[in-house]
Amino acid sequence: MIQRPASASFRHFIVALLSLGAVLQTAAWPGAQAVFHTFLVLGLAPEFRSPFIGALWAAAAGWVLEGSLRMYPHMGGTALANMIVCLLAAWTLVQWPPRSAKLYWARMGAFAVLHILLIRGLVLFAAGAYTWGSGPIWTLLLVPLWASVAFKFYFPHHRE
Amino acid sequence: MRQRPWGWNPAGRRRWATALLLSGHVIWILLGRGNSDRWQRALGLLSTPSQGVSAKMMAWRQARTDKVRDLESAQTELRNLRSQAVNLQLAAVRDAAKVQEAEEATRLLGLKKQLPLELKAARIVANVRKAPFGGMIIDQGEDLGLVRDQGVVCTEGVVGRIWSVAKHQASVLPLDAHNASTSVLLSRSRATGVLQGVGPGRAEIRYIGSQELVQVHESVFTSGLDGVFPRGLLVGYVTAVHAEDVELRVEVTLAAQLDRLYLVLILPPSPGMELRPPAGPVAKTETGAPK
Repeated sequence: MIQRPASASFRHFIVALLSLGAVLQTAAWPGAQAVFHTFLVLGLAPEFRSPFIGALWAAAAGWVLEGSLRMYPHMGGTALANMIVCLLAAWTLVQWPPRSAKLYWARMGAFAVLHILLIRGLVLFAAGAYTWGSGPIWTLLLVPLWASVAFKFYFPHHRE
Repeated sequence: MRQRPWGWNPAGRRRWATALLLSGHVIWILLGRGNSDRWQRALGLLSTPSQGVSAKMMAWRQARTDKVRDLESAQTELRNLRSQAVNLQLAAVRDAAKVQEAEEATRLLGLKKQLPLELKAARIVANVRKAPFGGMIIDQGEDLGLVRDQGVVCTEGVVGRIWSVAKHQASVLPLDAHNASTSVLLSRSRATGVLQGVGPGRAEIRYIGSQELVQVHESVFTSGLDGVFPRGLLVGYVTAVHAEDVELRVEVTLAAQLDRLYLVLILPPSPGMELRPPAGPVAKTETGAPK
């Protein structure tokens, strides 16, 4: 197994931390918050060496998002959805590594749709009905943007 | 030797940890209704900077919306005001004649209160003074009890006298008619004479002796000697004095604007020479009987 360089791992960690902070600080702008959230869960978390670490980042993103929104009577649904999608994305990246950026975009788009639906269902189950915001639309519209950034952190060699 | 996936080795422990993380969340959701207020409060505290920025942005957007709304309301109000101003201007033009008549009527009412005579009001319906032997036609006649030689006055001064009377109309001989004669009195010199018309708005005083000292701008009043006007009604002002052989020829500009007359007051027949002041309130003695 080829080890990822330490500098790349550190950079990956810093970007994930900044994304988590952005999720927290952009609570007033739901569109931007949803994009940062999806970027962290689907673009950065699956790339950590350990699926457990990735799941932790995804769960943290979910808890921070729900906590900053202050609109759910019972939290945890988003975090669970994040972990499931993150682990699924990590598994698919190991099993079928993307060969081009466009394939990566398409996969991220599909996972984004799955992510949105899963969040919807689990939050509905955990906290009850809530309104759709503009976040999913912005997330799907900006897939080429955040998926391109995430693809720069994609390092498939350590999985081979 | 291959490691067991779920054994007690590093990979297995990570798998167990992941499974625990997932199952913990599932249990958390299934058990539900955990208290998340503290978590939300802590995150709210951490997101204070972004909340401040968001609040400022919201305030800015609100201020901009208010400005736009104020501007729109101001523009709407301005349009309404312009429309109202146009309507008011049109109404003013439309009602100008009525307003002028009302103002003249108000002035006449004041004059009527000042003169201790029984005056009748009439409206001039035709003004043909400049035609040969022309005059003015008023809308009152025998039906109002008018007779010939009743004096006609307006707020500026004397207009003329009634020349002929029909059933519902009467003609007025103005002071500036060539065949009009009125007995007048000069204010300073106290000289009396006869005023005769010489042209539109102008007249001359005859029969004033050359020894009289008449000054330009002197006021000319009715003398009351002709029995048509009482003494003291303003006729006009002296504009020029010409000394001739035995008498002065005094040119007078009439005070009444005969071209712009609309409403006039008609004096009673033979009003007397002097105007008697109106009787004031009757003073009573201590016993209540009039003094």
